[in-house]
Amino acid sequence: MKNETNWKKAARVIILIIALLFFLFPVVWMFLTSFKTEAEYFSYPPVFIPHHFGIENYLNALAMPPDGRGGLQGLRDSIIIASGSTFVSVVTGALAAYSIARYKVGGDNFSFWILSTRMFPPVATALPLFLLFKTVKLLDTHLALIIANTIFALPFVIWLLKGFFEELPAELEEAALIDGCTPLGAFTHVALPLVTPGLVATALFAFVFAWNEFMFALLFTRRNVRTLTIIVPSLVGGHEILWGEIAAIGTIAVIPGIILALVLQRYLIRGLTMGAVKG
Amino acid sequence: MSGAMLDAQNHTKRLFSDKFRKRSVPLLFVLPALILLLAITIFPLLYELRLAFVSWELTVSTKATFVGLQNFKDILFHDARFWSSLKVTLILMIGGVSIELIIGTVLALLLNGLKRSRTFLLSLFLIPVLIAPVVAGFQFRMIYHDQYGPLNYIIGLLTLGHWHGFAWIADPHIALFAIMMTDVWQWTPFLMLIILAGLQAIPVELYEAAEVDGATEAQVFWRITTPMLIPVIIIGVLIRAMDSFKLFDIIYLLTGGGPGDTTETISYYTYLQGFKFFSLGYTAAMAFIQLIIITVIAQLFLRVQQRQPGNE
Repeated sequence: MKNETNWKKAARVIILIIALLFFLFPVVWMFLTSFKTEAEYFSYPPVFIPHHFGIENYLNALAMPPDGRGGLQGLRDSIIIASGSTFVSVVTGALAAYSIARYKVGGDNFSFWILSTRMFPPVATALPLFLLFKTVKLLDTHLALIIANTIFALPFVIWLLKGFFEELPAELEEAALIDGCTPLGAFTHVALPLVTPGLVATALFAFVFAWNEFMFALLFTRRNVRTLTIIVPSLVGGHEILWGEIAAIGTIAVIPGIILALVLQRYLIRGLTMGAVKG
Repeated sequence: MSGAMLDAQNHTKRLFSDKFRKRSVPLLFVLPALILLLAITIFPLLYELRLAFVSWELTVSTKATFVGLQNFKDILFHDARFWSSLKVTLILMIGGVSIELIIGTVLALLLNGLKRSRTFLLSLFLIPVLIAPVVAGFQFRMIYHDQYGPLNYIIGLLTLGHWHGFAWIADPHIALFAIMMTDVWQWTPFLMLIILAGLQAIPVELYEAAEVDGATEAQVFWRITTPMLIPVIIIGVLIRAMDSFKLFDIIYLLTGGGPGDTTETISYYTYLQGFKFFSLGYTAAMAFIQLIIITVIAQLFLRVQQRQPGNE
């Protein structure tokens, strides 16, 4: 009997290790490729571990394409756009979430309408937004992408924060209101500090989703704005495939996601299901 | 003025301002978000609805002419490519989500038995979910490479050189499967996470009672675990179905809809119509058809979610 459970335990661990190898292999392969020379990534049999871990590919990638603004510009634009849409959606979203959680504004129908806007296929909203941005001359600007990303960030932020506010006991804010605090004061001085961990988690999720966004970046930008997610396919599509350089940009591009996975363990379930499943 | 009168006056004053507060403050709080959402979702959609009833070929002229329901008729009755893209989308959705559900459930059950290492392992498993799909597409482009890719090399090793794998993304019989596997790689951990959360929410007392009653492991799994997991699985599957319906990024990076149109999803076809062929009215009509399909799935999701414990 004891032996059997040991066998089971061993089988469990072995299967999990194999599965983990499967799920991490592509990321690890890209990471290793980012250090390989051309002779190493175009070789048969494939080279698994590069001979030398230099940062040449990273330096080249940041300076590419030849106009000299490639990877570095992508990094800058991704940071501006992801931070911008996170800021707008968290500031407006936190107020709305608080109001919905505490005062039940609009009832269930209103909050479900907000959630449903998150489910729009991006390709369905892309065309009217494109024509709108074209009319107001916002194509190829950071602002256009901040606005577009806010569409998907805002419902997410409201729903996640609504859940966090609902879990706070209302007594503290009631006491503050009775002591003469304004509703805005009760929100900023009492409720907000208490949900800080949830607020940070929400903001990080919103940041990573905007950081990973691709379709809007593809359609609403040309030359002036180029996110990292745009640079990867534009280099893949070139006549020679610069795997080392693309892998370097790809590695830079996955860092926020990996940090999120490792840091926000407690909030992953909520964040990924918009609070539909509470972990 | 006596103290009592002052008190009474203050009381009315406060009541009045309370009333005022109750009505206006919550609305003021919601207003910025509401204005943003209306401006960036409702107005574009209304505009698009108008577009759906015109013919506006940017390649031919800059003028739009009203054609009524013609766009919808053309799409539904004369556009084989639309139906083909819908078929590809549904194959990817049903096939991909089924595989993800099966592997995800197995992994969740295995992880559920672990104690200390569980949280850390879970984080590692979730890395694919949190990286950009475009980057995931690039990773698989390297892995699938028929000459230099590690996948075919490993297949060669395992078959002792008898078989060297496929041209994964160039072979019209395999490309759709290769896309599906990329999606499975990226999203299986998501379903695993949800099912694991569901497993941990099952009260221990149920298992204890079953043990007292002498239930077998199989009975416990089918009579307790499975029924308790169903609501959570439905939520997970619906979220995945909605996302999978929008599949675009990895198609763009891996195959561009090819070879032929064997991997062209409905999102990708809409993108081509709108931003390569510039048929604006047609694209708008196609976008609306997708909105209707998504709305049906979303309604299902909302119904199920409203019934979750804790959400009344």
